[in-house]
Amino acid sequence: MSRTIPDFPAPRLHLAARIAAAVFGGYVFAWGVIAAGASLMFAAGMGFHDAEFLASLLGVLVFVAVFLWAFAARRLWVVWTVLAGGGALLAALGSFVQSLLV
Amino acid sequence: MPESVIAALLLLAALSASVAGMGWLALSMPVHAQQAGMAPPSRAARRALRMAGAVALLVALACCLAVDHPTMASLVWVMGLTAAAVGVAMTLAWRPHWLRVLVPWAGPRTARG
Amino acid sequence: MMQSFRQAMAWLHTWFGLVLGFVLMAAFFFGALSVFDREIDRWAIPSTRFDPQPMPSYEKILRPAFERMQPLPATVDAMRPRVNGPMPERFDTVVSWSAYTTHRDPVLQLFAGYEVPNAKDPEEAIWAEATIDPRDGTPLPNDRLKVGSGFFYPMHYGLTLDWKNLGIWIVGFSALMMLVALVTGVVMHRRIFREFFTFRPGKGGLRSVLDLHNLTGVVALPFHFFFAFTGLLIFAATYYFPLGHTQLHDLHDLHAEVEARQTGLPHQRAGIPAGLANVDAMVAEAQRRWRANDKAGDVGFLVLQHVGDANGYVSVYRAGTDRIALVGDGIHFKASTGRLIREDPAPTATGRVAEFLTGLHLQHFRHWLLRGMYVLGGLLGAACIATGFLFFVEKRKRQHARQGQQGARVVDALAVTTVTGMVLAALGILVANRLLPEDLPARGDWERYAFWGTWLLALLHAAWRSAPVARGLANPAWREQCVAIAVLAPLAAVLNWITTGDHLLRTFGQGYWPVAGVDLALLVSGAVAALSARALKRRALAGPVASIAGAETGHA
Repeated sequence: MSRTIPDFPAPRLHLAARIAAAVFGGYVFAWGVIAAGASLMFAAGMGFHDAEFLASLLGVLVFVAVFLWAFAARRLWVVWTVLAGGGALLAALGSFVQSLLV
Repeated sequence: MPESVIAALLLLAALSASVAGMGWLALSMPVHAQQAGMAPPSRAARRALRMAGAVALLVALACCLAVDHPTMASLVWVMGLTAAAVGVAMTLAWRPHWLRVLVPWAGPRTARG
Repeated sequence: MMQSFRQAMAWLHTWFGLVLGFVLMAAFFFGALSVFDREIDRWAIPSTRFDPQPMPSYEKILRPAFERMQPLPATVDAMRPRVNGPMPERFDTVVSWSAYTTHRDPVLQLFAGYEVPNAKDPEEAIWAEATIDPRDGTPLPNDRLKVGSGFFYPMHYGLTLDWKNLGIWIVGFSALMMLVALVTGVVMHRRIFREFFTFRPGKGGLRSVLDLHNLTGVVALPFHFFFAFTGLLIFAATYYFPLGHTQLHDLHDLHAEVEARQTGLPHQRAGIPAGLANVDAMVAEAQRRWRANDKAGDVGFLVLQHVGDANGYVSVYRAGTDRIALVGDGIHFKASTGRLIREDPAPTATGRVAEFLTGLHLQHFRHWLLRGMYVLGGLLGAACIATGFLFFVEKRKRQHARQGQQGARVVDALAVTTVTGMVLAALGILVANRLLPEDLPARGDWERYAFWGTWLLALLHAAWRSAPVARGLANPAWREQCVAIAVLAPLAAVLNWITTGDHLLRTFGQGYWPVAGVDLALLVSGAVAALSARALKRRALAGPVASIAGAETGHA
């Protein structure tokens, strides 16, 4: 599976943006997974610390996976949208579930 | 025999079984068999060596479980596999003919080994 | 760069592995030393060279010790910005008093947390710490640096860089990158099963280095993966993803309330003063209950919550000496009457997974073989990273020499600093520990300066001697620092003998393994370094022809 990269006017900047997407976008996405995961598991009856632990376990693995994806993906804007956007949505879901329970 | 001596013997058995198992798995690969001075093994011999290797590693696991709580035994086993693999790799790198002790039925040492 | 998935993964492995590798070297090396942190403490603080002790009596030993404990002036100052108003002379409202011990501890660590009046956060607490001899309650002077558990151990998870927990974040990110490096490494290593046992030292140059890098990475892959992963999990809820204290704070508090009601263990003080019944009797009762459940064991953790209040309770936890959990089987008593409140039920399935994963990393179990194999794993990890650096330099130094670039030289100098330099720094603090006067004020600070100073010297030496790398040749600093290790390591053992009278024949004879073990490790390290220096000298004498021949062997 090979594809060529389009010529970028500023390859260094592009690389920096990709690294930022992987690191910060990835972190936001992982946070979102943990927020949604912990709150949903708690809502389902699991103890809070158990839910937080299990969600964190998943969150770390997801972080690794999306970090790799951020470098393998062809289009950087897709990466930013999915990671930052998706992460924010998942985090919002976590807060929403919390608001229903408290 | 005091319990700690039995435990020590069982752990020694586990490590020995791991080394033997890793050794047989290594010798099932033609390149390592030749390093050890054996003729390249036939397909049947390779399968037999791999079976022996797998069984030996399971015996090692059983020995570990006989000594400790399962949560610890599993870690002892996995780390034992690492130690055994490093040992076999280093033996292959510096003294490959030492692995012949695991295959006493193999013929005399060939010129390569 | 990103022309295929495999190439992208290779790029990631190379560059993130290189940059974060320098941090990971510290995590793996000091992590390996931390397996025997308490034994190193015994070596560094000779007054603690006695046998491990069980949890002592509360009435006779712990109570007077706890009552003396107050936070250090520096801790009080650090708390000031978080308080609206003056700081009291003495802190008297106890949040908790606790003592933790394992089967490897001669001395006992005590923790005392006090409420902070007028704090901005109502849950704020200020902490004091002390170490005592459990046989008679004598405190250890608090500027005695526990070189193992108080320096090497925090070094491995946070580089002792405490400002805003920056070090913990750096190590955390590097742990994440370790996981990335492992996955990308597997993606890159096409012949991972066929080359499982492959190490060809005779081939020389790039091929041998890569073989060793692959071997040390693959053969201990479960170890490397699980230690990086569990390390991240251990700090996840407190530092990296503190959702319970931020976004999901409300859920956390809701759970705490529910839990307090369900367990009968009050979260807050009642505000009504009350006495304390006989704690020793409570501990004895806890041990009786463990025995009745076929789980006879030692007390690992003793906690007194809300001391002096009607809501106070005492929790006794069993040490996880014989299993992977740190402590467990908690039994809780009402502090004022000594009546049983609760016996902790068996943990949930998730609870057991959490216990296993954190326990396998934090290692409070009794299993000397497993500990030894953990050190092997840590050293294999360090070897994997070091050979990674060597491969990076070997692959590029001739090309950089032709193009007049300094990259390979810089990486090589940094590699020397983080491999041999790091060992020298560790030896530096041990030597300083023996040489500094016993009653030097702030002795611990001076020992730390010795550590950083030695490391800095190693860096300067490595940089100064690295000019040949820019010409495509080897850096003589490697051999020179090996010689330095070969001298310093046995010197540390000899200094131990001179300053404490404990030499190997005596410690072996008495069976005092902690000190014997450290001395033996020092001597073996010195020997390995000496042999390495000799091998490097021989290679240098063999001349540039050999190294070019080795380098021409490309890698697949």
